[in-house]
Amino acid sequence: MSTLDEPAVARSLPAPTPRAIRNRRPRPRLPYLLILPALAVSLAVIGFPLGRVIVLSFQQWGVAQIFSDAGPPFVGLKNYTRILEDPVFWTVVVRTLILTAVMVGLSMSVGVGLALLMERVPGWVRGIMTFSLIMAWAVPTFVSTQIFAWMTEQNFGVLNYVLGLGQHNWYTDAKQGLAVATLIVVWGAVPFITVTTYAALTQVPAELVEAAKLDGAGGRQVFFGITLPSIRPVLVIVTALSIIWDFSVFNQIYILRNGAPSPEYQTLAIYAYMQAYQGHEYGYASAVAVVTVLLLLVVSVFYIRQLIKTGEAE
Amino acid sequence: MRRAVRIGYSALGLLVAAVWAFPIYWMVSTAFKSGRDMYSATPQFVPLHPTGHNFAEVFGDSTFWQAAVNSLIATVLTVVLAMAVAFAAAVAVARFRFFGRRTFLMSILIMKMVPSIALVIPIFLTLTEIQDASLGALQLTDAVPGLVIAYLAFALPFAVWALRGFVLGVPPELEEAAMIDGCSQVQAFRRVTLPLIVPGLVATSIFTMILAWNEYLLTYFLISSPEKYTLPLWLSHFVTTEGTSFGPLMAGATIIAAPVAIFFMFVQRNLARGLTAGAVRG
Repeated sequence: MSTLDEPAVARSLPAPTPRAIRNRRPRPRLPYLLILPALAVSLAVIGFPLGRVIVLSFQQWGVAQIFSDAGPPFVGLKNYTRILEDPVFWTVVVRTLILTAVMVGLSMSVGVGLALLMERVPGWVRGIMTFSLIMAWAVPTFVSTQIFAWMTEQNFGVLNYVLGLGQHNWYTDAKQGLAVATLIVVWGAVPFITVTTYAALTQVPAELVEAAKLDGAGGRQVFFGITLPSIRPVLVIVTALSIIWDFSVFNQIYILRNGAPSPEYQTLAIYAYMQAYQGHEYGYASAVAVVTVLLLLVVSVFYIRQLIKTGEAE
Repeated sequence: MRRAVRIGYSALGLLVAAVWAFPIYWMVSTAFKSGRDMYSATPQFVPLHPTGHNFAEVFGDSTFWQAAVNSLIATVLTVVLAMAVAFAAAVAVARFRFFGRRTFLMSILIMKMVPSIALVIPIFLTLTEIQDASLGALQLTDAVPGLVIAYLAFALPFAVWALRGFVLGVPPELEEAAMIDGCSQVQAFRRVTLPLIVPGLVATSIFTMILAWNEYLLTYFLISSPEKYTLPLWLSHFVTTEGTSFGPLMAGATIIAAPVAIFFMFVQRNLARGLTAGAVRG
């Protein structure tokens, strides 16, 4: 990719015309002017809020501060020590990590499995599969969550009927309720994974596969020796994105529990949100948000490594 | 491949398609059922007495139209602002080599990672303070313009990254050829590259539009008055402590999701190309 950005004239033309050189070179200011608006807006809507949430996490910011003219007092690490001492927070962290692992594991294995299946079916079946997956992809999460809430409704839900469970309540046991939430996440995430992975599979060089087969490689050897290495970069990115999305899962659980998830349903995002929204504990909630971002950085270390590689390739 | 295996794969593929489509089918078919047919001991897999009653209830509700207008305004403003700003930046990073370029690209990718929850608290407090400082002259919290500011936080990084992929997809040699034929660089860009990027611009706009149209968390935090609701928030008013009216809820959900699905069908293929170009080839 790096060659694309070289001063292209020098590279592709044996004898550069004076005009082309004049037009290409002496414009050091133009790219800066072009990124300036984006830079300004992203600083205003992302950079500044991120900085502020860090500052907030060191402040006492509660109901008292809303009605007072004095600025919020700095309390040092108090919000953070409160987090570390709060057993609820730690169960929330563990729950979030487990849920993320299950959601990512399920959606990746199902998603990649379906992509491989799509390679092996005739075109018309693939067309039907793609259509159905894209429809699911397009459904907004608040809609899909309501659909699943209706399908798992205790008395008239279609799921209880199909599974022959009578009037089973899926939500008294948070484990089952979170299983439903996982189902919603997987249902919504698989289409993206399958479509992207299938696109990558079609890019695997056919000559390589042919050559390997001529040399007597079996299906398994071709898959692990050629297919998998070729689609690996795509798989890494898709996995990383899934981790990021699932780690900050909010809508599917929050809406499923009608905007009032009991403590055993809370993930990090929901916990931070409830602290801020209902408790008006903005300082504490900010500290939770900062810890969430830090944990996210740790679990998405692969993505960041890929980023750095990308940066080097540039 | 043996014939039996091939038929097995096809059957499995069709089963998967059916399972994935079922929730959507269930939403639409519920929307067309009367209360009696919805709440029957044996679910009706095909509506036996289809009725437009639920849709009539949604369309007859003035708050639905108000929410639709709010959604439309917030979405259009977000798309226009994000696209204008992002397109310039995408051209800069895809076509120029300059000091700080890599840092800018990395920060865009990092921004894509930041979860909404980390942004919503400071955005809310800052908007409140600006509003107070202007003595209420600038209405930003519980107002659509404030929403647009919040939406840009996720729309902008996405749009920059996607558009960059599309600009990279047009070989600079084409522009150079036009320049040798006497075009200035700006002319070459406008006459050669721009027309080739149009599909990418359309795909990115539509996807940004879908992101804004579907946004829930930020809106829920920033908006409190019912007359300022967007459609996703409006939909949740069918959920009350006494229970959920799933009939009109499913009709509303169908109406809100339909434009998304239609637009998505159009741009999906194009978008996958732009995103993988950006994400994979780096």
